[in-house]
Amino acid sequence: MNTSVKMILVLTLISALSGGLLSYWDAYTSEKIEAYRQQEIQQAVKEVLPDTDEEKIQEAGDFTFYVGYKNGDITGVAFVAEGGGFQDIISLMVGVTPDFSKFTGLAVLSQKETPGLGTKIAYDPSRKGNETWFVDQFQGKKSGNLTYVKNQKAYGDSEIEAITGATISSNAVITILNKCIPTAKSVFESINQ
Amino acid sequence: MEKNEITASDQAAEASETPKKKAPAPKPKKDPRDHLYKPKGRPLTMSSSPYSQTKDNVPKIMWCVSLALTPAVIGAVIFFGLKAVYMISISILAAMATEWIITRIRRKPNTLDDGSAFLTGLLLALTLPPTFPVSGCVLGSVFAIALGKQIFGGLGCNIFNPALLGRAFLQASFPVKMTTWVLPRYADMNAYTGSVSPDAITGATPLGLLKYEKIFTDLKPLFIGNVGGSLGETSALAILAGGIFLLILRHADWRIPVGFLGSVAIFGGIFWMVDPATYPSPLFHLLSGGLLLGAFFMATDMVTSPITIKGTWIYSIGAGLILVIIRLFGGLPEGVMYSILLMNGLTPLINRLTRPKFFGEARA
Amino acid sequence: MAKKVSLLEDFTKGIWKENPILIALLGLCPTLAVTISVENGLAMGLAASFVLICSSTLISLLRNLIPKQVRIASFIVIIATFVTIADRYLAAFYPEISKNLGPFIPLIIVNCIILGRQEAFASKNGVGRSILDALGMGLGFTLVLLILSTIRELLGSGTILGYQVMWDSFSPWMVMVLPPGAFLTLGLMIGASNWINDRRTR
Repeated sequence: MNTSVKMILVLTLISALSGGLLSYWDAYTSEKIEAYRQQEIQQAVKEVLPDTDEEKIQEAGDFTFYVGYKNGDITGVAFVAEGGGFQDIISLMVGVTPDFSKFTGLAVLSQKETPGLGTKIAYDPSRKGNETWFVDQFQGKKSGNLTYVKNQKAYGDSEIEAITGATISSNAVITILNKCIPTAKSVFESINQ
Repeated sequence: MEKNEITASDQAAEASETPKKKAPAPKPKKDPRDHLYKPKGRPLTMSSSPYSQTKDNVPKIMWCVSLALTPAVIGAVIFFGLKAVYMISISILAAMATEWIITRIRRKPNTLDDGSAFLTGLLLALTLPPTFPVSGCVLGSVFAIALGKQIFGGLGCNIFNPALLGRAFLQASFPVKMTTWVLPRYADMNAYTGSVSPDAITGATPLGLLKYEKIFTDLKPLFIGNVGGSLGETSALAILAGGIFLLILRHADWRIPVGFLGSVAIFGGIFWMVDPATYPSPLFHLLSGGLLLGAFFMATDMVTSPITIKGTWIYSIGAGLILVIIRLFGGLPEGVMYSILLMNGLTPLINRLTRPKFFGEARA
Repeated sequence: MAKKVSLLEDFTKGIWKENPILIALLGLCPTLAVTISVENGLAMGLAASFVLICSSTLISLLRNLIPKQVRIASFIVIIATFVTIADRYLAAFYPEISKNLGPFIPLIIVNCIILGRQEAFASKNGVGRSILDALGMGLGFTLVLLILSTIRELLGSGTILGYQVMWDSFSPWMVMVLPPGAFLTLGLMIGASNWINDRRTR
């Protein structure tokens, strides 16, 4: 047999087998992967909208809004906010009141900050029993023009206590929020007039 | 013509001043070409390398540098109390113990008495914040000697300044503890200008205050040393005293502190002239942080700085430039450690690029 | 020539004598990047071993069928197939580990250890020997990752597999979970292995 014909045949055969195997495998796993992703988002939405019993999804532009209801009334809106962190994109699930003025909660979906320092925005092992203190402190704060304080407790309505040794990551979260919330607000209001 | 070239060549003249070994060989026969090799005036005696001009040796230099640090040590004790004595002595002990153990493992002669391990431990302790735990001092000293020096083959083979490498390791390992400061016992709260809250000042060095709080510190306390900072770096007065002693004895190349401090003053001064409200004055740059300690005692380390004169200038001015960039635009308030370590890393390259021409070599 | 090497040696050479990381210095990128915790290191080692064993078996079976002009292309397609299987498997059943390892599982495709073993061994030897070789290399790779990640997690977080093992007042050496810690530890491990080899030959 001609070498080039053999080359084409063998490579085609291998690729076809590989493709077949992978499509079968994909069908088997993709359901589970998608289910996990949904569950993760659902869990984050539940976390940031504590006072709801039902969520409805509204999509508009770049945003997917998870609108929380309790007894038929809107109690909060959750959406994903993303922005540059110290090393990579930080992805946050933001929960706010329906008029976007106050936080109902905040959760970190994904981040790749410095292990042991910046990762404390999501999980701080040094504060036993209160590992998610950084995002928890947002609950009830005003959503506009957040600022941070260092090495002391935050008292003001829009003050956030930064993580010692990870000011840049703390500031990144605040910057993402300050930038994304007004945009999200205008998008949300334009579709719900 | 040839005669002129011999006397003009720096290298040959420097090398010839006092050769180490005077050859006890019998007087050579009078050579008719003698006048070519012995120009009028200073006689040119050649011997094979290495050339040594002084009676200095490693132990003498190391112990002299340690002696020159005495004022800084005294300053540390005055400002930060007995904790300073404790930290310094533990660091030195740990460094010397590591040196002893590793020379035993490597089956090399004991090098404790050359004083280099003593100096490394001392310098390391002086660059640590006064609140730093003593166990951390031990770790830093062990790292500095074991991985900063001995793993390269001992004194003279290391690429980076061991004390600074130990500090860099501690900085990367314990970033929070390495930036937790206290004010010295006699601190003067009136020395800070700007929107001052006592909370802000207790936790910071003058450079940190400038970077994060936009608070300027007066120059007088900076000069004396009653501001927040590492053990041995706060008092410009004490370091200058020791540094000048070192320069007079010629155990440090004067070009390095001059080039380093000069370039910091010039580059820092340029920014200050553009906007004095945002950028600190050159004098503030010189007196704050660990610059003086680094310029006199760390950048001048003979092993890790270039050997040519031109190279020395490149090295010291480069360190100053990097320092100003880190201080003004970097994420950290202070950059002496990284600027010196970076230039240490460039030193072999600088040596290669500034290698003097061989005698008689054609211009390329 | 190949007959002289015993079957046992085919297996053991990957663990020490021709260890892919310590001696051949292959596959350093995942070695340095993922060994922050024992869990990650183990998952990476097992995933790479799985790909290595499967593709070695298949390629040594097909070695007489594949024309040598397209052998690298065929190897890569086969390796990529198994890597995708491993990647999807982790994402479906161990989503947390998959998230931690990020792009380093797909990057096994270009891991020098795997392509190198196909080119140097599986494409020239029988199935039995190829499987032994792949097992040994996979084990050698996994062992080094395990030791490296144990040291890094112990000193960098004070834990092993997430359980606190260091005393309470131990403050973690942050540098060990950062890239410099990986380089330092791996460098010391390579130095130690050279030192041991040196003393043995003496």
